[in-house]
Amino acid sequence: MSAFTVPLIIRGQVIEDNWVTFGGRGGIAEFSAPDPHKYVKQLRLRTPMDLRDMYDVSFEEILDVLQELGERLRLETNPHMQRAYEASLLTSDLTPGLLRYTYEQLLPSYFQKDVVREIAERGVGINYLEGWVEHPLRDGRRMRVRAFGARTLHIAAGNGPVIAAFSMIRNAITRSDAIIKMPSNDPLTGVAVARTLVDMAPDHPVTKHLSAAYWKGGDAEFETQLYRPENLEKIVAWGGFASVQHVTRYIQPGLELISFDPKNSASIIGKEAFASEATLREAASRAALDIGAANQNACTSARVIYVFSGTDEPGLKRLTRLGELIYASMLALPEFISTKPKRYDPELRGHVAALRLDDEWFHVIGGEAGEGAVIVSRLPEAVDFAPMLSCRTANLVPVDDLTQVTAAVTAYTQTVGIYPESLKEELRDQLPLFGAQRLVSLGFASNPTLAAPQDGMEPIRRMCKWIVDECCEWPSGA
Amino acid sequence: MSESISQAAEHLRRDPAGFFGNSITRMHTIPRDELAALQLEAANQCFAEQRRTIEMVGKQAARVGLSTITQFDDLVPMLFAHSMYKSYPSSLLDKKRFDLVMRWLSKLTPVDLSGVDVAGCDSIDEWIDRMDAQTPLGLITSSGTTGTLSIIPKAKADAIRSMETWRLFFFQRFGTEPRPEDVTPVVDVIWPNHASGKLGHLRLAALLKTHFTGNDPSRFHALYSDAVSTDLMFLASKLQRAAAKGELDRLEIDPQLLARKDEFEALQRRKPEEMKAFLNRMTTQLRGRRIFITGASFLLVDMAKEGFARGIEKCFAPDSVCVSGGGTKGMVLPDDWAAQVKRFLGVREIKMGYGMSEVSALHMMCDHRRYHIQPWVIPFVLDPDTNAPLPRTGVQRGRAGFFDFASIGHWGGTISGDEVEIDWDTPCPCGQTSVHLADDIARYSERRGGDDKITCAATAEVHNEAVRFLAEFQG
Repeated sequence: MSAFTVPLIIRGQVIEDNWVTFGGRGGIAEFSAPDPHKYVKQLRLRTPMDLRDMYDVSFEEILDVLQELGERLRLETNPHMQRAYEASLLTSDLTPGLLRYTYEQLLPSYFQKDVVREIAERGVGINYLEGWVEHPLRDGRRMRVRAFGARTLHIAAGNGPVIAAFSMIRNAITRSDAIIKMPSNDPLTGVAVARTLVDMAPDHPVTKHLSAAYWKGGDAEFETQLYRPENLEKIVAWGGFASVQHVTRYIQPGLELISFDPKNSASIIGKEAFASEATLREAASRAALDIGAANQNACTSARVIYVFSGTDEPGLKRLTRLGELIYASMLALPEFISTKPKRYDPELRGHVAALRLDDEWFHVIGGEAGEGAVIVSRLPEAVDFAPMLSCRTANLVPVDDLTQVTAAVTAYTQTVGIYPESLKEELRDQLPLFGAQRLVSLGFASNPTLAAPQDGMEPIRRMCKWIVDECCEWPSGA
Repeated sequence: MSESISQAAEHLRRDPAGFFGNSITRMHTIPRDELAALQLEAANQCFAEQRRTIEMVGKQAARVGLSTITQFDDLVPMLFAHSMYKSYPSSLLDKKRFDLVMRWLSKLTPVDLSGVDVAGCDSIDEWIDRMDAQTPLGLITSSGTTGTLSIIPKAKADAIRSMETWRLFFFQRFGTEPRPEDVTPVVDVIWPNHASGKLGHLRLAALLKTHFTGNDPSRFHALYSDAVSTDLMFLASKLQRAAAKGELDRLEIDPQLLARKDEFEALQRRKPEEMKAFLNRMTTQLRGRRIFITGASFLLVDMAKEGFARGIEKCFAPDSVCVSGGGTKGMVLPDDWAAQVKRFLGVREIKMGYGMSEVSALHMMCDHRRYHIQPWVIPFVLDPDTNAPLPRTGVQRGRAGFFDFASIGHWGGTISGDEVEIDWDTPCPCGQTSVHLADDIARYSERRGGDDKITCAATAEVHNEAVRFLAEFQG
């Protein structure tokens, strides 16, 4: 029995026909969507010339369309978003409290004019999007540069309902054509946003260059027809290692991959946290927020936290006290930021339960009711199962000096939340060498901005085609 | 029964096979109620003893406030996850602090490890050999994808007991009382595997070598002559962990381990020759003899293929015994795999068993494809997410838990990673009275998230995929 339906949106057209069922395994609710094989030809943008209509639209008009779209996404008045919210209650790892906040507040907020303008200005430069920007060069030629859009497939991740919306915003401001492949654990939210846009402005070029569809990732028969340089110029892939790895088989000259690889995040807390009761409490509150936000489901969520507490007995005592404060702060977070997880990973529970019975190497605070836990290491090492940390379960690791914190950062590290600022400045020229991509004040890890580089690159610039017009003078009399 | 229930339960715990007169028919025709009463008493005896002698058991009992077991479900919070046997920092092995590993291990076994001499011990293999020599334990290790090594403090006596009961099931038929030669048969043992090692199934090899052959080691025929080194298994685990954490660029490998990696590669190169010699021995020297063979299904299928290629069918005496199990390790078996193996070996049936390292019992499949639980093991079906017990009535599907009250080296309560289905109420048409499992046992880890569920947070699951990719990449 299908729990819900996922229409297919192709450039302003809403398709609700040729239903087939998906999901129904591994905890994913069963749902229906139009048979993607019947629409693969229609999903292709026939010719890049069809993108021309985007260039008849001013940047301000694009902002207006997005702003109005954002206003129409309000849960209380939009039946498409209501259905998406209901579906996400079934499919998402997030709890109702978190989902409600995301749909009511977070999702619409990204479409606000000022927000989008800042994303475009910082992420590309509006003048490059709006026209040719001239730079005189040393040899006398005048170089003019413009950022063009591209035909792009976006493979969205499902661990947050906002990810498809990010793709839509980036697509509109770069004047690109997007096909968004919906994830099985959130197949409807992006479709609902696209459908709202169709209702609002069915013939607008922004609508005409947005498609949102579900097909099963790895469906080679479908993918080989679509993932080709004659149909697409770029693929933006979010997701786990396997899904990104899978996409690479289609990459060839003329079809570029922009990959948001799987990432984890960490935190570092300096000795300054122990200066006073007030600083200790502040550091604990900040860390609790970085762990607990979105129930630790985001790639920005803190998991292992290195603390300059010292590794001797007084140091471990300090660390345990910090752990208790972090645990208490985490439990006190409001329902729209963090809740008891929907389902506590049974394998992780086994690991935590084992550590609880033996205090020699690790001390466990909380976690008995599946609400989340803080594991305090009693040696300067993270737990062996650190890659499994989730469901609001963090590991505090004591360190004595800077050399020990480079372990916090690996090729898979995205965000590092650091307290205090002075320690961040001390570390910021070293950590990136090991792989950290975003250093942020502790407590703000899960509050990223789209106006910044992401995953060590500038994705919106990469989504553009950077075209040059060179104006050179022919020597007189030659 | 002339014994009091407490004496009877004690007897069942100490010598399950003897309690039933070494008869598998008696083991599996005892009325359910009668067995349940014995099991409850035996579980209480085991619990009363081990909560005092095993530190982790005492701590957990105190935490959950358990003092006596009045019903089977009381045991559920006392079932240990497999992670219990890897809850030490794996860096202790890197640093060769076997003294500290033993301090941790001693909390999981009643055996006093304080006198074990580990001075100068510089490899895991050597440490385990010393444990073998100096203690009643025969440690069992297994390497996980999180890069750690689990260590189960299994008593040698537990291993021997389980081997002796296994043997009863291999050479007896249900419904027929055993003759003496069915209890201690003498056969040639064909072991399509490494000759020794400290992994659960390799520990078995040493016991088969003596207990199935009338103590004639020349009748034990292993495919590969070498042991599987625990140090190499640990190295493999560490490589996996480093890849999983994105730390391959800074993985430091002990030069001693590195040297042994070369050794491992040499053994790998030798394998085709050893395989050839092994097949030759099977199809010439052992042809027509009564043999015992055990191995994972895919190994047996490979052997059958090789045999057919040499034009050989019905290779051994018809009263030979073949036992399989252990899953397919992700390989797809041909539908007629069992028929192929039987045709090659010349046996009437392939006996299938279900078991795990933590529990000293192999639950055998009957003619109706149901796995029957051995009488010294209490089975549980648990909610797969919360581990709460599901009712012990009707048909229940969930996570399997087991309590082996005969275990003396370690606590016998275990939560598995397996999804099972128990039909508590319907008697099995095979005539055995014991609790029985459906044959479609699956690993939860393989079942969950197999679809294209995408998340950008790098969970262990995607890490493990990365690990597999790396393994393929390096060929």
